[in-house]
Amino acid sequence: MNYPIWQLDAAGGGLLIAMMAVFHVYISHFAVGGGLFLVLTEMKGLREGNPAIVDFVRKHTKFFLLLTMVAGSMTGVGIWFTIALLNPAATSELIHIFVFAWAIEWVFFVLEIVSLFIYYYTFGRMDDRNHVRIGWIYFIAAWLSLFVINGIIDFMLTPGQWLTNNNFWSGYFNPTFWPALFFRTFLAIMFAGLYGFLTALNIKEETLRLKMVRYCAVWLVAPFVLFLASAWWYRAALPPELQTLIFERMPEIKPYLTGFWILGPVLMLGGLLMAIRMPRLIIRPIAFVLLVIGLMYMGCFEFIREAGRRPYIIRDYMYSTSIRTADMERVRQNGLLKEAKWVSHRELNRDNTLEAGREIFNILCLPCHSVGGPLNEIRALTQNYTPAGLAAKISGLHTFSPYMPPFAGTDDERLALAAYIATGLNGRRDRLEDVRLDTFAEDPVPPFAMDASEYVLLAWSNEGLRSMTDAGRTWLLLPPGVTINAQLIRRGELPEVVTDGVTLTYALDPEFINPAERTDFWEYAGELYNRDIPNNTGLSGNGPSGTMSPVENGFIAELLPVIPYPATNTFMPYPAVTITATDQSGTILASTRVVAPESTEMGCRTCHGGGWKVQGRAGISQVTAENVLAAHDRISGTRLLELAAMGPVLCNRCHGDSSQNAPGDPERLNLSAAIHGFHANFLAGRGAYYCVLCHPADSGGATRAYRDIHRGLGLDCTYCHGEMENHAISLLQGELKQGKQHAADLMRQIRPAGFKSSEEIAPRSPWVNEPDCLNCHADFQLPQSDTTFNQWTEGKEQLYRNRSDETGKIRCAACHGSPHAVYPADNPYYGNRDSLQPLQYQGDPYPIGSNRNCKVCHTVDMEDEMHHGNMLRLFRNE
Amino acid sequence: MNPAALIPTPDTLQVPWGWFQVLLLLTLFLHIILMNVMLGSGVIALVNLFRAGGEPTPLARDISKKLPFAIAFTVNFGIAPLLFVQVLYGNFLYASSVLMANFWLLIVAFLIIGYYLAYILDYRFDTLHNSRVPIIGLAVASLLTIGFLMSNNFTLMQRPEAWTRYFDRPTGLLLNLSDPTLIPRYLHFMVAAIAVGGLSLALLGEWRVRRGDPGAAAAVRSGCNWFAYATIVNFGIGFWFFGVLPRQVHDLSHFSGVLIAVLLVVAIILGAFSVIYSLQARVMPTLYTVLAAIFVMLLVRDLVRVAYLRPYFSLADLEVVPQYSPLLLFLVIFVAGLALIGWMARLAWRAVTAGEVRS
Repeated sequence: MNYPIWQLDAAGGGLLIAMMAVFHVYISHFAVGGGLFLVLTEMKGLREGNPAIVDFVRKHTKFFLLLTMVAGSMTGVGIWFTIALLNPAATSELIHIFVFAWAIEWVFFVLEIVSLFIYYYTFGRMDDRNHVRIGWIYFIAAWLSLFVINGIIDFMLTPGQWLTNNNFWSGYFNPTFWPALFFRTFLAIMFAGLYGFLTALNIKEETLRLKMVRYCAVWLVAPFVLFLASAWWYRAALPPELQTLIFERMPEIKPYLTGFWILGPVLMLGGLLMAIRMPRLIIRPIAFVLLVIGLMYMGCFEFIREAGRRPYIIRDYMYSTSIRTADMERVRQNGLLKEAKWVSHRELNRDNTLEAGREIFNILCLPCHSVGGPLNEIRALTQNYTPAGLAAKISGLHTFSPYMPPFAGTDDERLALAAYIATGLNGRRDRLEDVRLDTFAEDPVPPFAMDASEYVLLAWSNEGLRSMTDAGRTWLLLPPGVTINAQLIRRGELPEVVTDGVTLTYALDPEFINPAERTDFWEYAGELYNRDIPNNTGLSGNGPSGTMSPVENGFIAELLPVIPYPATNTFMPYPAVTITATDQSGTILASTRVVAPESTEMGCRTCHGGGWKVQGRAGISQVTAENVLAAHDRISGTRLLELAAMGPVLCNRCHGDSSQNAPGDPERLNLSAAIHGFHANFLAGRGAYYCVLCHPADSGGATRAYRDIHRGLGLDCTYCHGEMENHAISLLQGELKQGKQHAADLMRQIRPAGFKSSEEIAPRSPWVNEPDCLNCHADFQLPQSDTTFNQWTEGKEQLYRNRSDETGKIRCAACHGSPHAVYPADNPYYGNRDSLQPLQYQGDPYPIGSNRNCKVCHTVDMEDEMHHGNMLRLFRNE
Repeated sequence: MNPAALIPTPDTLQVPWGWFQVLLLLTLFLHIILMNVMLGSGVIALVNLFRAGGEPTPLARDISKKLPFAIAFTVNFGIAPLLFVQVLYGNFLYASSVLMANFWLLIVAFLIIGYYLAYILDYRFDTLHNSRVPIIGLAVASLLTIGFLMSNNFTLMQRPEAWTRYFDRPTGLLLNLSDPTLIPRYLHFMVAAIAVGGLSLALLGEWRVRRGDPGAAAAVRSGCNWFAYATIVNFGIGFWFFGVLPRQVHDLSHFSGVLIAVLLVVAIILGAFSVIYSLQARVMPTLYTVLAAIFVMLLVRDLVRVAYLRPYFSLADLEVVPQYSPLLLFLVIFVAGLALIGWMARLAWRAVTAGEVRS
């Protein structure tokens, strides 16, 4: 933010520093341990009076000098150059905080090269005692170099008290200083043995060669136990949250952790193997392989340490993006483009979104991500996201990926960044135009004669729209199943709800009667539910046509096998059902048609990649489905993707769903709380826009599920259900009340909208505690408010779909239609399909009986408001 | 775009800036001397070998044997001034380094190449045959390139007005080629290196003469000639350099302008004396005068930077949050380190000169 960014792209993501650092660190540890090796081996040669050993030391010193002085020293300088280019702000901090530590280290470095030159060039020319002294000076200077650097490196990981007192010594002797020093010292000694093999194998005389190779093997193997103990100490010295982060919550580190645990014993076994007498033809390649393994071992450790520091470059002080933690809030408030010095776009507008997004990307992403390179390649990591999905992801990235810093910028800057990555780099776009629907002629309205018809048949769908997750054999969140209710009323001055002596049948429109031909649900349904589910049969045993079951004051056909695909690769989410009432003799008493809405337009692909499965607008593709499970596995440590290879995963098996009568695992969050609770960490702050990113209610989408009068009046999802963040909190509060602590974990980072704290949001159970129409329409009067979030129905009985009028006979939905599609509703495909019954019985699309249409049932005008108050008047919103 | 807005905010200092300024000048002085010896002797060895048609010459062999040491110590003594300059001017230097990042990082590669080539030359001088000239040529070219890149960065860092080019090319591929001071400045340093390289050979010759090697007198004469002629050429380059410096540098209405003028006159006088001494083959007086001249020129160099940056920055503006104990520790270790180096050098000297042979 303070400095220009080197726009590296493919070589970004820390590739340069990784290459330079791993190489340097491997050699520089050798420079320390090897120093001890030289002087002790020389002493051994002198003690044993064996000039051949001393000669070996001289030769090894030449190799040592060439490797450590040239490659080692120069790459050390290289690291300094590189970090100053990749993260000048942090380099400047480290230089300024530890300037005299660096200066001291320089003195030791001078001592190292002076002593090493003297040591090498005075072999055989200086008396033994002084020569050995020079050797010791070299080793001590080299070890003190390590001592100094170690303090600074570990400061970056655990700055400790320095964060509060800014004292040099507090930062230097930080919590991991001592264990890291021992850890590195033992590692350095082990590496001395590893490098020693190379020159020891050059000894021509076989007995001496074997002796020295075994001697080197001792150097490699003997310190291992002490090394392991110091590694354990190092780990224990890390703050608990850092331990959790590194060893449990960073899947990216796992390969390196595994590598570290495996390669250590491999090195030890290799060391033991080297002690066996073998021909040089065999043993030399083994030595080289061990040297490479040593490099990998070092690399694993350095990657773990570096990655463990994320999202910081100096923990709790400066993020990897060079933004100080103390500046974060200011950057968020004022915007990155205003706070950063090296940007050319200070303001965002429609024309510069991608260019400004690139500048934001340079500052916030390039420090750790490459574009087209081998390390943390951004395109691969974001390929699944549309700009909207990525913008959402970025907002909550740090919550579930604690190695990522929180986004530093305004919401608009976040959108610009997402646009640059998703569109500029990956070529993905959000839908730019409304989905062009296959519109149809209006439905023929079933006949009804106000003067002559004896019955009124009212029918409605339980839900304004049923969602089905057509994700193939991978997983199933919601099965197909539209439930249709009906009430048959015998007309008269005193109408009567008829349930006895009549039969109600239903029949889906012909193009929907073979759903098994359109989806593979029936191929795996039996496996999923552990029972036989014949093709084209719903989970309640109902087929595409059949007889409705009598219930109190009406009839029901549960979970009809509706699939919204009338033909191959064709999506139409509003099939209709014809309901017919007959008496015992088979005479038709009444008939009507009702919409059986079901959609597979679930927006998972916005963030989980893949395309749509059907007609470019609905259904969950295999790619999307698998990515969902992969994400679940990554974040929750499950193995669902693996399980899915054996058979589809049924979400409600773990996450209970009362709408499906699935108890799930009582220890886990229910389905609604889990999904909303997780995703709210990303989908906050943009109101209903984020609801329709997943649910099929986008006004430009393929389903447009929200189609009733409230939409026409400008009310969106949030007016009743709350913003995504509040909606999620209410569900999580419900689970927390049940004692499920994981709800608190998910809730921790969600900031409620319009509430001071999450505690102000009332807990609720999904499908039980829902918004109540009467909250706004108190006493059925004009609404006093247009928002009703946080006031829930007490139980299932109070749900609109289950409620009846004041007589207790007529269900609310019978006259007003389905939730989200209450009369008058506008069907996006058929125009009138959502209002067929009002049109049938009273010639208008308004609630049954409105506009003083009492005679639809009563055959005469009425004067008492017996169903509910305020009903005897003209419809207000024509 | 206002270039001043691009200047990064500096970090705080632990001790007043004067401490770092003194340390910077001292360590830079040592680095420059070593660099001059390294590069100058390398160039002379190359010319010498080239003139001899690639055949091994005693002078080239002599230099080749010492080049790795010279490189090692030059790099080593480059670290300290680079550290202290980052403390004082890091916000300028890091910015310009990023602008030319690819080239800046290439310095490390050139360093490794030059260093290994020097070792090849050292260990295999007599067996290299036709490869001697190309190898030392490549080594010298690597070192000269490093110098050129250094000059680029240290001129670019003091010209924030040139930084706006970053927005057209943020890929770290900028150099400071449009700066009229770049080439004369670079040449001024490189030619000075050849002069001091020559002087270092004269010094070696002088020591050998004193140890009873009369054949070394020719080396003294040759080294002094290299010094004298290179320095004469460098006077011309110096005037060219001075002529293209912006007005703010030699603005005599400002104290630093007066100081620069005075110091330059002192340096010119010292330089002139050193040329006269060298033409007389008086090595030690040449050495003393030229060391003084170099030190004065380094002061000028620093004052020029101050003048360049005056519109944007003053060292006195740097905030100090005092913590003296680390400085104290450094000074103690520095002195102890020097003592230890002295002791080791004495041992080594004895071993080499007395020809001690291990029993």
